[in-house]
Amino acid sequence: MAYFAGVDVGSLSTDVVIIDDNAEIISYTVIETGANSTQAAEKALESALEQAGIKRRDIAKVVATGYGRISVPGADKKITEITCHGAGAHHLFPGAQTVIDIGGQDSKVIRLGPGGKVIDFVMNDKCAAGTGRFLEVMAGKLQVKLSDMGPLSLKAQGEPVKISSVCTVFAESEVVSLVAQNHPTEQIIKGIHKAIVNRVWNMVKGLGEPGKVVMSGGVAKNRGVAALFEERLGAPMLISDEPQIVGALGAALLARNQS
Amino acid sequence: MSLAKKIEYWFMKDIGADLLMKFGGAAKKKKGPSKPNPKLGPRLEASAVLQRIIARHYFMSRFAKGAMPVAWVTSGAPVELLRAFGFYTVYPENHSALCGAAKRGAEICQVAEERGYASELCSYARVDLGHLFSGKTPVGLLPKPDILFCTTNICATVGYWYKAIAHYLQIPLIQLDTPFNFTEMTQADEDYIVAQLHESVEELEKFSGRKFNYNEFVRICEMSHATSMLWGEVLDTMKTKPSPMTIFDAFTQMLPVVSLRGLPVAKNYYEILIEELQQRVKDGVGALANERKRLMWDNIAVWFKLNDLSKLFAEHDMNFVVATYTSSWSSTQDHMSNADPFKGIAQTYSRTILNCNLNHRLHTMQQSIEDWDVDGLVIHSARSCKPYSVGQYDLKRLVLERFDVPSVVIEADIADERVWSDEQVRTRLEAFFEALEDDGREAA
Amino acid sequence: MAEKTASRGAYITEKKQAGLRPVGVFPAQYPKEILWALGILPVEIWDPPLDISTAGAHLQPYVCSIVQSGLELILNGGAEEMEAFLFPHTCDSVQNLATVVNDYIDLNKPCYFFFHPKAPYRQSSRDYYYNQLKRLAKELEPQFGPMDAEKLKTAVAQGAKVAELLRQIYMLRAQNRLACSAVEFYKTIRLGEYLLPEDFIPVLEDFMLGAGGQGPSGPAVVLSGVLPNPPEILQTLDEMDVRIGNDDLLACSRRMIAPPVHDDDPLMQMTKAYFGLPPCSTKNSPTDERLDYLQVISERSGAKGIIFNMVKFCETELFDIPQLEEALKKRGVPILVVDTEINQGFSGQLATRIEAFIEMLG
Repeated sequence: MAYFAGVDVGSLSTDVVIIDDNAEIISYTVIETGANSTQAAEKALESALEQAGIKRRDIAKVVATGYGRISVPGADKKITEITCHGAGAHHLFPGAQTVIDIGGQDSKVIRLGPGGKVIDFVMNDKCAAGTGRFLEVMAGKLQVKLSDMGPLSLKAQGEPVKISSVCTVFAESEVVSLVAQNHPTEQIIKGIHKAIVNRVWNMVKGLGEPGKVVMSGGVAKNRGVAALFEERLGAPMLISDEPQIVGALGAALLARNQS
Repeated sequence: MSLAKKIEYWFMKDIGADLLMKFGGAAKKKKGPSKPNPKLGPRLEASAVLQRIIARHYFMSRFAKGAMPVAWVTSGAPVELLRAFGFYTVYPENHSALCGAAKRGAEICQVAEERGYASELCSYARVDLGHLFSGKTPVGLLPKPDILFCTTNICATVGYWYKAIAHYLQIPLIQLDTPFNFTEMTQADEDYIVAQLHESVEELEKFSGRKFNYNEFVRICEMSHATSMLWGEVLDTMKTKPSPMTIFDAFTQMLPVVSLRGLPVAKNYYEILIEELQQRVKDGVGALANERKRLMWDNIAVWFKLNDLSKLFAEHDMNFVVATYTSSWSSTQDHMSNADPFKGIAQTYSRTILNCNLNHRLHTMQQSIEDWDVDGLVIHSARSCKPYSVGQYDLKRLVLERFDVPSVVIEADIADERVWSDEQVRTRLEAFFEALEDDGREAA
Repeated sequence: MAEKTASRGAYITEKKQAGLRPVGVFPAQYPKEILWALGILPVEIWDPPLDISTAGAHLQPYVCSIVQSGLELILNGGAEEMEAFLFPHTCDSVQNLATVVNDYIDLNKPCYFFFHPKAPYRQSSRDYYYNQLKRLAKELEPQFGPMDAEKLKTAVAQGAKVAELLRQIYMLRAQNRLACSAVEFYKTIRLGEYLLPEDFIPVLEDFMLGAGGQGPSGPAVVLSGVLPNPPEILQTLDEMDVRIGNDDLLACSRRMIAPPVHDDDPLMQMTKAYFGLPPCSTKNSPTDERLDYLQVISERSGAKGIIFNMVKFCETELFDIPQLEEALKKRGVPILVVDTEINQGFSGQLATRIEAFIEMLG
């Protein structure tokens, strides 16, 4: 039996997925990238191998992706996270037409054609608004755990508070003053989520009718953000149980195609 | 053009508009008079007439479509040519300024930005395109154009902007290309513009199916010339101390000469305004209760801060008495008296301040500083407008070196209120006020 | 490549010693032949690799990096050897830069200007262009003249030869018969920004001979924008084995690919050639013309997509983009728009976008 690995080195997390000949997931790991992306890639791969109970030599091909794809030792090929997310999303949800991926440093919207081929995409510009980093900064300001942001925002009563600044730095001080004005935390969080969704929604619109939408990336775990997207879409999104490994899964699938 | 539409338009123009505006409230007085600002002199009575003219102009534009060909025109275009063909003219720049003044600029710009127009592009153009895409406007409804008429004497950017509209609406664009006067305007430049005017006449004849009426054209040119001369006289009254008007008034009062030039209403209006201003001069009534300092403004207005800036400067008893911007529709118009109206147009429209080199700008400013007895200069660096803004840093230095006039640069914009930082502007203006007070010269 | 063409600075010094007189020329379109005929060495100032410091005292931060770095070069003494400057009327920013330099900055060097008529073109545009050629020659004569009619004829013939060679090279590349990287291609054709035709012609001939064979095997794209800068953009495409099938760059094809024309009057021949150049935003060409042109060059070079490399604050280009993007997508042409500033390098994100675009085409 031949195995294939996909290694996705992102700014916050490094993810590895190992699949077999039949494209079944054998194991996966998610670890923090930290300061050294080469080490992170090695560590994540080792632990995935261990879980799968196989050796490095059992892996036929490795595809590296993510911003740190150039620093993955022993990768047979580097492929961008756009193409990998497309492949991963298509594998999980064959009818998907659009992928919204919100990661730590960037967000992207991908249009898929037949067979999961990428036919168009947009990425956010340099600024951090509309990314996981934005959420992380705001959670810090509100002294709320990142994983609690989603559930809290779903509890918000009434209209979310309006966050007018699109820049992380300005939004930060805006949030501080909202707290000082005693706005309920739930409503502020919902306002923050809405700011992200607005930002990414412009990108979605830029690519035309979204059709069936898959959401991937760490932020997809936040039900509050997802709910706001679904409100805009007027339809539920397709979200896998482990949305942050979609890129690594796509890389593994593309490694399988290599052979 | 449909006959029914024509009849409706003429009915509205002569009778209906006034009735409807009265009942519909378009000319309704705004809430009762607000508390008078002790720093300001009495309001201009003519302004009420002007407001009716503006409201009527935008109101009538609802009935123009279908009744007569509609043209969208740049502010520096020789509209006389279009009037001779009976076009209804709309000035997108004026509309964008109104959107700016109503603080709707950013919102409408965003519509254009969502369609891919970068936020660093001219906000007049972004507002216009955003309006085209969404219909958003604070002034009712602008009739869609049947034809576009663009002159590059204010910038090359209007060329790109009008070309975009021509593409979206798939309508003809007539362009008058006025070579930038890096040095002197030459005979070849004049010949080129005159040749284009003749070519434009042919294109307009083909488009409108009407023969060019030369006599009508001459009559309109004369009307336009007379109106511009009157506008010049209006601005000249501000040489008096105290000045009977502020430049913030002039920014609004210029609408007829910009948008209605060549029509009797514009000329008639300025006759009323002049009379009032001359009376003020006679009576020694100023726009400010106590005019201590006289200032010059460079560049287009910051439309979304007109009121705030007006109050702020009045607070310091400082009055803007002249601007390079407002003079643009009078300073070159004397060339219109040329026996050949085509040559008159070529000279008038090619010699405008934005179509000339920066040395010309400096000389114009020097003349204004002397004639209007200017104490200081406020330079608006407008992100939207490169021809007006690029070079201002050196201009600031030279105005001080050569004419001993202190100045300040404020970084802002014409219609996009997102390009404004209270903090930054306040700090710079405070330093400017200090510099003006320190230099010891007191206005008479 | 001939050694004498290796460095711009050395070339200028050498030609100066030979009696030629260097004149700095700002972007973009100007009649080189008139300068050559007057014994001038035109040296184009597009993207000098400088940090902007002094220029910031004269220009607002919302002026593009091309105009900023051009002024920086003048102010920091990098253009000392130039005897004069020529400013074509390319856009509002170059226009005002020209008058700032001429009117407000004490340089003690003459400035010349060239205004080319803006589209939509009519007969008057052609007449005016012809007159402008005459005017420029007349204005340059007191400093560099007199103009010799024979020399002008020779210069115009040389200009036609350069255009012919460039047309051939572009055609070979479009047909994938040019074995050469994008970096090498642009390095070679951009030598025309300062080489005289007698030196540039042999370079182009050698290049054509030496680069026969099949080009990169990856997908082909059309590269649009002002310049192939930052250089990383070409490096990234080369690394991915991408072939640039054709370009729509202001500094390259838009002013190089003149059609073969002839007229006994050399100035008329130049006029005809000028109006046969590809559509261009700085000439205010109608959107539909540019759209058709982009589609044709894509199809003829087998390109699968178009990359628009935008210089921040470049109005001429930024105004065209939304219309081109919308219409090209409707026609099924994949496009990618990237924002860069000259000599400012490449973020990892930008590289990812280009790579993903190529993967998408592949």
